[in-house]
Amino acid sequence: MKTYTCDFLIVGGGVAGLMAAIPAAKSGAKVIIAEKADTRRSGSGANGNDHYHCYIPQCHGADPARARREIGSSFDAGPWTDPKLTDVWIMRSYEIVQMWESIGIDMRPTGEYHFEGHGIPGCQLYNLKFDGKNQKPALTAEALKQGAQILNHIVISEILTNEEGRVVGAIGADVHAEEPEAVLFQSKAVLLATGMVSRMYPSITPAYMFNTPCCPATTGSGQAMAYRAGARLVNMDMLKGHAGPKYFARGGKGTWIGITTDIHGKPFTPYGDKPSRATGDVTADVWPSCYYDRMKAGQGPTYMNCTETPPEDLDYMLHEAMVSEGIDSITDYTEQRNIDLSKEMIEFGTYPIMMSQRGIDCDEHSHTSIPGLYAAGNCMGNVGGSLAGAAAFGLVAGEDAAEYIKTVSQEDVSNHPKLKETLDLYQMLMERRNQPHAHWKEALSTLQNLMNEYGGVELQNEDTLKAGYTYVQQLKADSLNALGCENSHELMRTLELLDMIDLAEPIFLCRRNRKESRGPHIRSDYSFTNILLNNKFQTIEKDKDGTVHMDYRLRQ
Amino acid sequence: MPPIIHEEKCVKCGYCAQICPLDVLYLDKQEPNPRLRVRYPDECWHCRACEKDCPQGAITMRYPLSHFMLHYTPEKGGENQ
Ligand SMILES: Cc1cc2nc3c(=O)[nH]c(=O)nc-3n(C[C@H](O)[C@H](O)[C@H](O)COP(=O)(O)OP(=O)(O)OC[C@H]3O[C@@H](n4cnc5c(N)ncnc54)[C@H](O)[C@@H]3O)c2cc1C
Ligand code: SF4
Ligand code: SF4
Repeated sequence: MKTYTCDFLIVGGGVAGLMAAIPAAKSGAKVIIAEKADTRRSGSGANGNDHYHCYIPQCHGADPARARREIGSSFDAGPWTDPKLTDVWIMRSYEIVQMWESIGIDMRPTGEYHFEGHGIPGCQLYNLKFDGKNQKPALTAEALKQGAQILNHIVISEILTNEEGRVVGAIGADVHAEEPEAVLFQSKAVLLATGMVSRMYPSITPAYMFNTPCCPATTGSGQAMAYRAGARLVNMDMLKGHAGPKYFARGGKGTWIGITTDIHGKPFTPYGDKPSRATGDVTADVWPSCYYDRMKAGQGPTYMNCTETPPEDLDYMLHEAMVSEGIDSITDYTEQRNIDLSKEMIEFGTYPIMMSQRGIDCDEHSHTSIPGLYAAGNCMGNVGGSLAGAAAFGLVAGEDAAEYIKTVSQEDVSNHPKLKETLDLYQMLMERRNQPHAHWKEALSTLQNLMNEYGGVELQNEDTLKAGYTYVQQLKADSLNALGCENSHELMRTLELLDMIDLAEPIFLCRRNRKESRGPHIRSDYSFTNILLNNKFQTIEKDKDGTVHMDYRLRQ
Repeated sequence: MPPIIHEEKCVKCGYCAQICPLDVLYLDKQEPNPRLRVRYPDECWHCRACEKDCPQGAITMRYPLSHFMLHYTPEKGGENQ
């Protein structure tokens, strides 16, 4: 087993994790990023992003009031976020845009700050159109330059807290070589920046589990580790969807320049009837279930229709915008198959649920309910903003942690009880390779079926939710009894699976406890919306004895 | 197999395997014939990172029939038009 000691351990080197490393390392703290892939190309921003949701005073006006109001009420913030936190990413966005520019990310490919896409016709545009194709290598280089240490191919599976309940380290496995090696971290503060939960529900092609719009390597480990350690989660009952090309799941719907139409090419939404490079078509943003809803209602398939997009805009979309966004596999695919978007429409579909921006409850300093434990990015449960939210709260977490670590001392974790428990788990999973054993895919298939049928967006009631919860507990017990791994790759996939199984618990429990229908949570036994719960979020946490507590707190 | 490794160009540097976000690729260092293998093709996200970052241009993508993009020529003047 390898052991590392540091001031600030960052779990996950996506956008949020790298952004946290920069100010913390700059302040002189000893920072380690543990990333299960390679920070240069990992996570949902791996190959790029092209929209940075921000407020730039010289573009939007010196008074931020309008931007705060419009962004705060938009789909980018969303209803399941705390306005206090939304304000943080809005107000720090310009500073980050300038910082990204200074490290070589092209924030104004046209020479000017230019806003485009995800636009609501008639509203100011806030999505800065940038070229993020090198964002991960650039952020990685900056984190290293500031003195952070990056350990790639390390998957973290447990965080450690001490008697007082503050965080003191983490445990993981080095999965670089064929044989995994346990790794112990002793750290004064820990940031969870592990992204969303991509694979808990079936993909749009259930036989192909990695056909997901966002990075399939983000599997809710941060939320699961936080929950096991007793941190408060929030909004786990509010399932979230996404939409895009069917059956080739891909994020980045805002990069398309076309309109949403039926099979006859006829638009049916109020968001414009001609393709607009300026606004794009927000249908997939504001009504991502429309593709599914229309099929279910017998209204036929729904398309992204670029046949009236001017040729120069189509060329720009395919060969510039999609490259910046890291979705030029769409370009490559259409070219390989001779699909001419000036003549043919692409059918869009509603993708199954992914849990993004549902999870760890944080304050405006990115602090969780556990002292010394921070969370940032898609694994937070109460902030939106996608990339901009991840970048801002990464920065905030790094700044706050740099101060926090001055107030606490290192604690020896070499005999921590969780250490033995975790090592025993790894050993048990690896030793089973010598005997007939179950494979992670078998259990994930069952988990996905259960989440879809018993915990999905269809009409549910107490009986279904209770049964689903029971079956997940059975699946967990059987999985622990039977799963085995051939090598470190399989150990990583198995640990991901176990995290997703653990996350089913807060989803089922919160949905059972929400005795009403609201948003994506629809119950036949409580079909009304209870106004007493307006403006409130449901939270869930476990105490030291493992007893679960659920509560409603005010939206802040 | 989603990424296609063009053996004649590949110098077995292992960079693509190092950066693949899904750990799909594997550099089999077995002498005398080291090989870059697409070890977990079902786990490929088709993100093209390996293709773009390969210094030798040794990778191209194949999109499997499971990841099928549905395309349709609009029937202009149809009954809803
Ligand atoms: C194709 C696409 C296009 C998009 N375009 C835009 C856009 O234009 N604008 C926008 O605002 N948003 C966009 N998004 C969303 C945006 O990319 C995400 O919101 C953002 O990347 C989230 O950052 P994050 O740091 O929270 O998570 P991620 O960037 O996903 O990083 C999480 C990291 O944690 C690592 N990890 C996970 N678990 C562990 C573990 N247990 N141990 C160690 N490491 C772990 C992962 O490998 C990963 O590197 C897009 C997403 C996709 C997929
Ligand atoms: S990066 Fe290119 S040259 Fe290097 S191992 Fe991969 S395919 Fe071969
Ligand atoms: S396309 Fe992406 S996920 Fe697939 S092998 Fe290449 S780098 Fe890995």
